Amino acid sequence: MSFAGFTLTQLLPIFAIGSAAITGMYLLRMRRREVVVPFAALWEQVTRESESRQLWRRLRRLLSWLLQMFVLAGICAALGDPRPDVWLRAPTTVALVIDRSASMDAIDGDGARRIEAARARAAAEIAALGPADRAVIIAAGEEVGVAAPLSGDTTALLDALPRIEPSWGEADLGRALALAEHTLAEEGDGRILVLTDGALDDAGVDALARCADGPAVCQVAQIGGPAPNLAITAFAARRYPNARDKIEVLAEVRNFGREPAVVELDIAADGVSVGRRRIELAAGGARRESLPDLDAARSRFVARLHAAGDAPGFSTDLGPAFDDTAWAVVPPLSPLRVVLVSDGTDLFLDAALLTQGDHVELVGITAEQATGGHAALREADAVFFDVGDASLPTSLPEAHVVIFDPWRTANSPCPIARGDELRRPFLTEQLRDHPILANVVLKDVNITRGTSLALEPSDQALVRSLGAPIMVLRERGDHALVAIGFDPRQSDLPLRVAFPLLVDNLLHYFEQREPGFVASFPVGTGRELALGELGLAVADGERVVVVEPSGRERTQPVDDGRIRLRALEPGIYTVRAEGDDGPISVELAVNQSSIVASDLEPRIADVLARASAADAPTPAPVAQGPLWTAILLLVAAIVVLEWATYHRRITV
Amino acid sequence: MALARRARQPEAGDDDVFDEAFLAKLELLHVISRRLFRGRQRAERKTRKKGSGLEFADHREYSPGDDIRYLDWTAWARLRHRLIRLFEEDEDLPVRIVVDVSDSMGTRGQRKLRYARQIAAALAYVGLANLDRVGITCLSGTQFETLPAVRGRGRIFSVFEFLRKHGSAGPTDVRAGLARVAAQASQPGLTIVVSDFYDMHAFEGLNLLRFRRHDPVAIQVIDPIEADPRGTGLRGDVAVLDCEGQSRRDVTLSPRTLAAFAAAHERFCQALETNCRSRGIHYVRANIDVPFDDLVLRMFRSGGVLL
Repeated sequence: MSFAGFTLTQLLPIFAIGSAAITGMYLLRMRRREVVVPFAALWEQVTRESESRQLWRRLRRLLSWLLQMFVLAGICAALGDPRPDVWLRAPTTVALVIDRSASMDAIDGDGARRIEAARARAAAEIAALGPADRAVIIAAGEEVGVAAPLSGDTTALLDALPRIEPSWGEADLGRALALAEHTLAEEGDGRILVLTDGALDDAGVDALARCADGPAVCQVAQIGGPAPNLAITAFAARRYPNARDKIEVLAEVRNFGREPAVVELDIAADGVSVGRRRIELAAGGARRESLPDLDAARSRFVARLHAAGDAPGFSTDLGPAFDDTAWAVVPPLSPLRVVLVSDGTDLFLDAALLTQGDHVELVGITAEQATGGHAALREADAVFFDVGDASLPTSLPEAHVVIFDPWRTANSPCPIARGDELRRPFLTEQLRDHPILANVVLKDVNITRGTSLALEPSDQALVRSLGAPIMVLRERGDHALVAIGFDPRQSDLPLRVAFPLLVDNLLHYFEQREPGFVASFPVGTGRELALGELGLAVADGERVVVVEPSGRERTQPVDDGRIRLRALEPGIYTVRAEGDDGPISVELAVNQSSIVASDLEPRIADVLARASAADAPTPAPVAQGPLWTAILLLVAAIVVLEWATYHRRITV
Repeated sequence: MALARRARQPEAGDDDVFDEAFLAKLELLHVISRRLFRGRQRAERKTRKKGSGLEFADHREYSPGDDIRYLDWTAWARLRHRLIRLFEEDEDLPVRIVVDVSDSMGTRGQRKLRYARQIAAALAYVGLANLDRVGITCLSGTQFETLPAVRGRGRIFSVFEFLRKHGSAGPTDVRAGLARVAAQASQPGLTIVVSDFYDMHAFEGLNLLRFRRHDPVAIQVIDPIEADPRGTGLRGDVAVLDCEGQSRRDVTLSPRTLAAFAAAHERFCQALETNCRSRGIHYVRANIDVPFDDLVLRMFRSGGVLL
C-alpha cells in the first residue's frame, strides 16, 4: 500500500492532533441541560432501574469515541490517497481487435455465435483491466472502425461491445492491425489481442502473421472451430451473345463441410420462381447450375438456398445465412455505336455494316467531317476509316479503329508504321484461330496494290503477304486498332463472302473487348464503377444517387466518369442520375459470393503456434477509481449512522 | 424544553384567578349543587356521634343514671333486658379545605396551584352558600396558615383573599401538614386536601386525619405533561433538578426512560388511590386540563363530597 497524497509522516501528526482533540472533548465533562421536575424522587426511582446498564453505557461511550477515532483515521487515510500495490504496476494498454467478418455470424457446436463468444472474451479482458490500464476496441469488418476509443473507462468499453455485429464480407485485418499498432505506438506497455475465428482470406492471414512477427506484442485468440456451411459462391445472369432476347442464369453452390450435403436451390425472377433444383454435394464439392433460355423481360434474379427435407446420409445444415442468398441483374442492352468515315463509294462496306442487328448504331460521315472533329467520333465505340484516296484526319479517335489502306498518303495518323509498297500482293498467311478471322478465307483474294506494315513486338499480324504483314492488330490501351494495308475498292474482297464475315467478326471482337456491363459486384467498400459502362452519361462534377437495398439514399460525386461504390450489404443497388431526357437509373447486384468468406475453416494454425493468447485473465479485484472516494463514502456513512443513532437518541 | 424552568415564571393573569367569570361559575355551581342536594336541610349532616337526635341508631345496656326516657320498654317487655335507645346526633360538621402550596404545585407556571385554588374556592363557595362553616389551610414544608372557619356566602371574598396571597413556597410535606391540621382541629369534620401528593408519605397524613375521625377527601391535582413527559420532546443527557431543591440527578432521557417515568407516575397515583379507597378515603384525580367546574360537579355527582 502506498500513499499518493499526503505522506505517512504528514498524516501521523494530523491524526495525532485530531485524536487528541477528540479525546479531550470526550474527557471533558459534558454540560448537561438542566430540567426542573416537580417530583425528583420518582425520577430517581425510574433511573435507578437503568443504573444496572451503567457499564454498558460507559462502553457505549467508549464505542462512540472509537467511532470518532475511526472517522478521523478514515479522513486521514483519504487525505493520503492510498493505492494498493497491485494498482502501482506499470499501466498496460490493450488493443482489442474483434473480427466482425461474415463468418463470425456462424454458430458453433456449443450453440454460441462466434461474435458473442468474441464479445464475451473481450468483456473478460476489459474486466481484468487495472485502474491505470487502458484499452481500445477496434472492429474489423470490410470497414475498420474504432468501436471504443482508448480509455480506461470500463463502462464505456463494455457498452461498445454489444454494438459490434458481424458485417458482410471479409475482415480487413491489415488496416485494423495497422490501426492497433499505431494506437499502441505511443503507449509504453501495449498488447494487441485479435479475437477471430481464423476463417480469413489470404490478406487477413498475412496481416495476422506480420503482426505476430512484428515488434508489438500481438496475440491471437481463436473463437470457434470448423463448421459446416453451404453457400452460393457465384450467381450471374447474362444475355446470349447471339440471342439478346434470351437470358441464361448461372449459380454455383459449394459445400464447405466435411460431410456430403444436400440442399435445394431456388431461383426467382422478379418475385416469380423460375427454377428449383435439389443439389447433392460431396464434402468440399461444388456444383454449377444454369437456367437457360429465360425470358429477357425479367431483370432481377434472386437465388436462395433452402434446407432439403429428408435426406438420409446427407447433411442439411446450411450454416450461417449470410451466403445463402444471391442477387443478379440482367445487364441492359447497350448499342454499339459505329462510325463509318467514307467517301460513299464503298457500298459493300456500307452493306456489311447495315446487315448488323439493332444493337449496332451506324453513323456515316465524310473524311472532311472526320478531319473537322465530328461529334459522332467522340461518342463512337468503333470507327471504320475507308476514305479511298482522301486524306485521313490528323489524329485517331478514342475508339476501336479499323483503317483500310492507311498509308495511301504520306501523312497518316496510323500508329502502325508503313512497310513496303506491294504490287498485286497475295494474302498467303492468316491467323485462322483469331476471332477476327473466324470463318474468313482470304487466300484467293486479288488485290491491285497494297502496303505492308511494320510490326512492333506487341502487334499481331493477322494476315501476311508472303511474310509481309498486311493486316495488323494493335492494342491501344482500352481500344484496338486494326490496320488493313489495302483498299477494298482495289480488290475483289468485297465480292467475297469473307468480307461481311470479316466486318462482323471485327464488330464482335470489339464488343467482346468492351469491359461491358458488370451487373454483379462483390461486397466491398471501394468498388470503382465507370458510369459510362453502365449506360449513365454523367459529366464530371455532377452527382449521382446510390440507393442501397435498405432504401437509404446516398449522393456521390462523379469523378472522371466514375464513382466509388460503397456496398457493405448484399442486394440490388440502384444508381440514379439526371440525363438529358430526364432521370435515368441502372441497377447493380452486390453479392456476398466469396469462397473465402464462406469457408468457415480456420486458417491461422501457423499464427496460433506463434502468438496464441492465453485464457482470459482474472478480473482485477477493484475495477477502478481512487480508493479515497470509497473511504470518504464509508466515513460519510458512519457519520450518518452515528448521527441517526446517537444524536437522535435512538441508541441512548 | 424543560418540564419546568429553574426560575419561577409567574402565570400570566395570576391575579385574575377569582375574576367575575369565576364568580359566575361559582354561582352556577351553587345552583346545581342545590338541585343535587334538594330536600336536605342545613345541619342535617349525620355524625358518628350518638346523641339526642331523632333517628334511631343503636341500643346499649342500661346503666344507672341514664335517662329513662330512652329506655326501650318494648324490648324490656319482650326480652326482660333493659336497653337504652341511642339516636344519631344531628350537628353541623365543619368543612376544612387544605391546599398544598409547595413548590411542586408551582411548576410550569403554577398551573397546578391555580387549579387547586379554583377547586378550593369553588368548594368553599358552595359550602358557605349552604351555611356550612368553612375553613381554609394553606400548607407546605415551610408554611402553614389557616383561615379560621367562617360561615355565610359573604365571606367568600375573604377566602379568595386568603388563597390569593399564598403562592408556592417550600417543599412538599403533606404528612406533617395534615398532622398539624388534625391536631389543631377542635372538631373533626370534612377535610378536603387539594394537592399533587408528590410526597412519598402523603397517604400517612390522610390516614392520620381519618384516625382523628376526620372525613378526608383527597383531590390529586395532576399536570398531564408532568405525568407523561413523552410529549415534551426531551431527549439526551440532562440534569434532573427537583423544583424543591432537594436533589439533582444526571439522567439520559430516551423514549424508553420517559415511558418508564410515565408508567411509574401512573403506578404512584394508582397506589395512592388504592390506599385511599382501602381506608374509605374518597379520592379524586384532577387533571388540570379538565375545567375546574366540571371536576367539582363530577365530585358532587359521585357523592364523595357532601357539602
